[in-house]
Amino acid sequence: MAGYLDKLGKDITRWRASGLVDAATATALEADARAHHRAGFSFGSVLMILAATLFGAALLLAIAANWEAIPRLVRVGGIFAVLIVGYAGGAFAKGRGHHAIAEGLWLVAAVAFGGGIALIGQMYHLSGDEADALFVWALGTAFAAAGLRSGPLTAGAVLLAGSWMAFVFGDGGPGRDIPVGYLVFAVALWAISLWTASVAARHLILLSLMLFVVLLYIEDELLYVPMLLAALSVAIVVFTSQRPVLADRVSGLGDGLAVQGLLGFIAGMSIVQAELYEGPYFLPVAIVVFAGIVGALLLAGRDNRALRWLAYAGFIFELGFVYLTLLDTMLGTAGFFFMAGLLLALLAWLISRIEKRLAAPEAGEGA
Amino acid sequence: MTRHSRLLIPIAIIVAAVQIGVLASMIMSRAAILRDGREVLLEVRPVDPRDLLRGDYVRIGYEISSLPRELFEGIDAESGKIDDPTVFVRLEAGDDGLWQAVSARFGAPPAATPEADQVDIRGTTLIGNISRAQLIAVDYGIERFYLPEGEGKPIEEGLGERPFRMAVAVDDSGSAQIKAFYDGDELIYREPLY
Repeated sequence: MAGYLDKLGKDITRWRASGLVDAATATALEADARAHHRAGFSFGSVLMILAATLFGAALLLAIAANWEAIPRLVRVGGIFAVLIVGYAGGAFAKGRGHHAIAEGLWLVAAVAFGGGIALIGQMYHLSGDEADALFVWALGTAFAAAGLRSGPLTAGAVLLAGSWMAFVFGDGGPGRDIPVGYLVFAVALWAISLWTASVAARHLILLSLMLFVVLLYIEDELLYVPMLLAALSVAIVVFTSQRPVLADRVSGLGDGLAVQGLLGFIAGMSIVQAELYEGPYFLPVAIVVFAGIVGALLLAGRDNRALRWLAYAGFIFELGFVYLTLLDTMLGTAGFFFMAGLLLALLAWLISRIEKRLAAPEAGEGA
Repeated sequence: MTRHSRLLIPIAIIVAAVQIGVLASMIMSRAAILRDGREVLLEVRPVDPRDLLRGDYVRIGYEISSLPRELFEGIDAESGKIDDPTVFVRLEAGDDGLWQAVSARFGAPPAATPEADQVDIRGTTLIGNISRAQLIAVDYGIERFYLPEGEGKPIEEGLGERPFRMAVAVDDSGSAQIKAFYDGDELIYREPLY
């Protein structure tokens, strides 16, 4: 978000030039923005998390190599030691104010738990238990995240739980093909993410739920499933635009919730469109997609840069899709585009009239 | 300091202890099968060679990995639909010491009480409908043999040429656990309890 500081700097310079603020206030404002900004993002933490991920990967590979030089009981003992040192050492570091080190150690310990499960599978030559192994790993990591109030561990638990869900879908077999339990898991992880204040985890949960819908559709081919996703997503965008304060309190995602809503709409409608693209419903579906994207832009796009970019991308993608698929004939498609363009131009004209009448002296934000 | 941050180290130790407990209980339950389970000797059968070695384990098939349909009791011949993918297979020791499947059933062990030289082993089938299947594929959770990196190749090649056997421990619930691996009559690996 360096862009925010740049933009604010320009604004402050302009306010200063027009006499709105004096030099002292301008400096104070800028200093405050910078100080506040730095607190939100730390290269130290990010690099520590990346380092912990590398250590974890090294540990898992070392287990996979099944190196005989180390007796396996020693390997099991090593894993137990990493668990104790990682969790307790991280807690100790946290107490001393070394947050990045704490999160790094906890992450290594959580990976070691998964490594332990893999090691047992190897010791006893277990096969066909990957789904159970992932599930136990995800559950253990979620437990650690809740206990230690760790954001990175929460995100890790979501990734593991999502992998379990995708694995069960992929595994197939009678009687165990739809991991409905994932929905319960997702709700629990959502609650944990509120406790650990992990925005990333909540975004990942929403993405994983979209993946759930996609996989559910692939499994059962019931068209109402993606339709339901699209409808729910529309409701989310409308909700965030009408009750932004309440929406933020429930989700803790700020602007991000509307972006997820638009993404869910695009994901759901993409499936519907892919399914119905031959036949009489192609045109209505395309109209719904265009209307949804433009609607989201109008409802939630004003102060939401990410949503605007997603809307532009979705719009261009849809345009390209319709262009390449064609409604019967080139002439028909040209007519559709012409009518849609006319409608948008009319809408643009209406909106600018209303904006002028309200005389809202807001500066246009560009992109 | 908040209450949570004061309690953080005890909480961390509890987290570590719970996770260690989970791992330890997994080890104990497996070791229990090895220790107390009845030992059966199974004929190893080579599987599709392109699929044999994935990373650090050898894929292993067994004589009992695909069972003729006639062995199964109580199959709904009309629909052929399987509600419960769990399969119980009754094994009996043959004259050569190798155990063979004598009967099988979905969802529960075969109705007759097993005799002294018989053992029920539990597996799952991957097919959802057996109306057309003559052979039914069953997995027992013992289809992999993990080896130190690089040691899989000779076994992979040997599997296609000469008979291998696997000693497997089976507990009362039918759970199977690999115990020892034989190249013909020669022992190549024996698993310790822990």
